[in-house]
Amino acid sequence: MSAEAPVTAASRARTVTIEVNGRPVSVVEGVSLAAALVGDRTWTFRRNPVSEEPRGPFCGMGVCLECEVMVDGRPGVRACLTPVRPGMSVRTAGAGEGS
Amino acid sequence: MSLPEERDVVIVGGGPAGLAAARRLAAAGLSVTVVDEQPELGGQYFRRPAPEVARVWGDHRPEGRRLIDAVRAAGVECRTGHLVWGVDDDGRTLLVSDPAERPVRLRGRYLIVATGAYERPFPFPGWQLPGVTTPGFAQHLAAADHTPVGERVVLAGSGPFLLPVACSLLALGVTVAGIAEAGRPYRPSLRALGAVRHPARLRELAGYAARLARARVPIWQDTVVVRADGRDRVTSVTLAAASAPARPVRTVAVDALCVGYGFRPQADLARMLGCAVRTDPATGDATPVLTPSGRSSRADVYVIGEAAGIGGAPTAAVRGLSAALDILGREGHRPRAGELRGLAADGRRLERFKSLTDALYPTPADLARLLRPTLPDTATLCRCEAITAGEVRRTAGTAAGDVNATKAWTRAGMGPCQGRECGFAVSAVARTSSDVFPSRLPVRPVAVATLLEMAGEGGPA
Ligand code: FES
Repeated sequence: MSAEAPVTAASRARTVTIEVNGRPVSVVEGVSLAAALVGDRTWTFRRNPVSEEPRGPFCGMGVCLECEVMVDGRPGVRACLTPVRPGMSVRTAGAGEGS
Repeated sequence: MSLPEERDVVIVGGGPAGLAAARRLAAAGLSVTVVDEQPELGGQYFRRPAPEVARVWGDHRPEGRRLIDAVRAAGVECRTGHLVWGVDDDGRTLLVSDPAERPVRLRGRYLIVATGAYERPFPFPGWQLPGVTTPGFAQHLAAADHTPVGERVVLAGSGPFLLPVACSLLALGVTVAGIAEAGRPYRPSLRALGAVRHPARLRELAGYAARLARARVPIWQDTVVVRADGRDRVTSVTLAAASAPARPVRTVAVDALCVGYGFRPQADLARMLGCAVRTDPATGDATPVLTPSGRSSRADVYVIGEAAGIGGAPTAAVRGLSAALDILGREGHRPRAGELRGLAADGRRLERFKSLTDALYPTPADLARLLRPTLPDTATLCRCEAITAGEVRRTAGTAAGDVNATKAWTRAGMGPCQGRECGFAVSAVARTSSDVFPSRLPVRPVAVATLLEMAGEGGPA
């Protein structure tokens, strides 16, 4: 319905490419990594260490730690507080076990 | 260890309160540092959009940009991406880590705690599923990142905040399938909010109400979430009347569900600094004991903004300025009488607005009573440690309702989020005696219009 305007505007936004579980993903420059992943339909960011259930971002303000992913080999990075950087390599726990 | 850096004033938190205080203090010539964990100043209310988002889609709150610019222009040292993680043995020096995780030690002759608020979630079966978030997360995604949280979304919980979030989603083309409000604030319906001449702050709420009515977003009052289902992501939400949680009234297909019951003060740092706190009788939340200008039981520590008690962004700014003027008075500055009078008048006007909205929505104590029976034993209560409501209930029974013992025995609330997500629920479930969450008379079923007119009496100058 109202998709027209956002799509036109989106074509004007500068994008950068990041790598999500080995796959290149194009995202609007400077958005939070959580937004980049959600925009890419990735919702499982990690697994709960006790129950192994999939978990995704919940609070969006650095409190719940459910958005922790691995960035450039560093674990425990809160995606909701981290702006995307060109070329950053992100690993989530949702990439299918063994990948 | 390196010597601490010394300032006249160190402010923790760069939201509306912290920024208002910082700007006023720096303008008077004091050396001021603002420390904030986020990559940009603004706090949750003035959360800055990514520059590229602002360039293409505009800035949802340009007054935030102006305030931040004014703070920088006043000479405030702004340290974003800095996490305050502790207090040194002297009880005064803040232990901070910078963006590269290097330690920094900061000491102020005055310390201002402006750490804001958390949202108040309440669990239900499936709340740990990906795609179930707080309304705040959806709002940040929309406003700061121009990203919809889903394509078809239900908002639930209680309080006025659900309305602007729904509007932000609509603006992105999201289908808002409905808003479930646990209370009965909108009498006879949401349109009532738009039906009166009211103070400026309410005009904002009325505007949201009108937009939602135009988009025909259903508002289900007296309604709570009883479960969310899905495998790797939420696919449906089931709702029931708050009074009859065992009899679901509808199941709605969604790809995101945002649930929140308002906000709680984030007063951990104030407690760590040894400021006296009390349990707020109206909310059950630990709240610092403060003078009207925000001075805590420690003369050198002030607590302002939402950390001092939930009041909204304009109230936060008033509290920030009040604290700044108190400090300036102690430093021998003489603020103009008009400035003090204006501030006091603003405070009174905002207080009226707050008591109005508080009267519309259920209090946290009401919510605890209302929500406790909706939570089955099998539901995960503590997300971090994956502990069920049943485990907490059984332990609480043995611990005679002692919340701290319950936490220690079950480990509920002891995970990495330190009980910030489940703390309200643990208290609500563990405490069985009704006197711990003091009750108050239920809101009478009067028309919204009446309340609004009352609040408008002697209204804004
Ligand atoms: S979403 Fe909660 S810490 Fe990032």
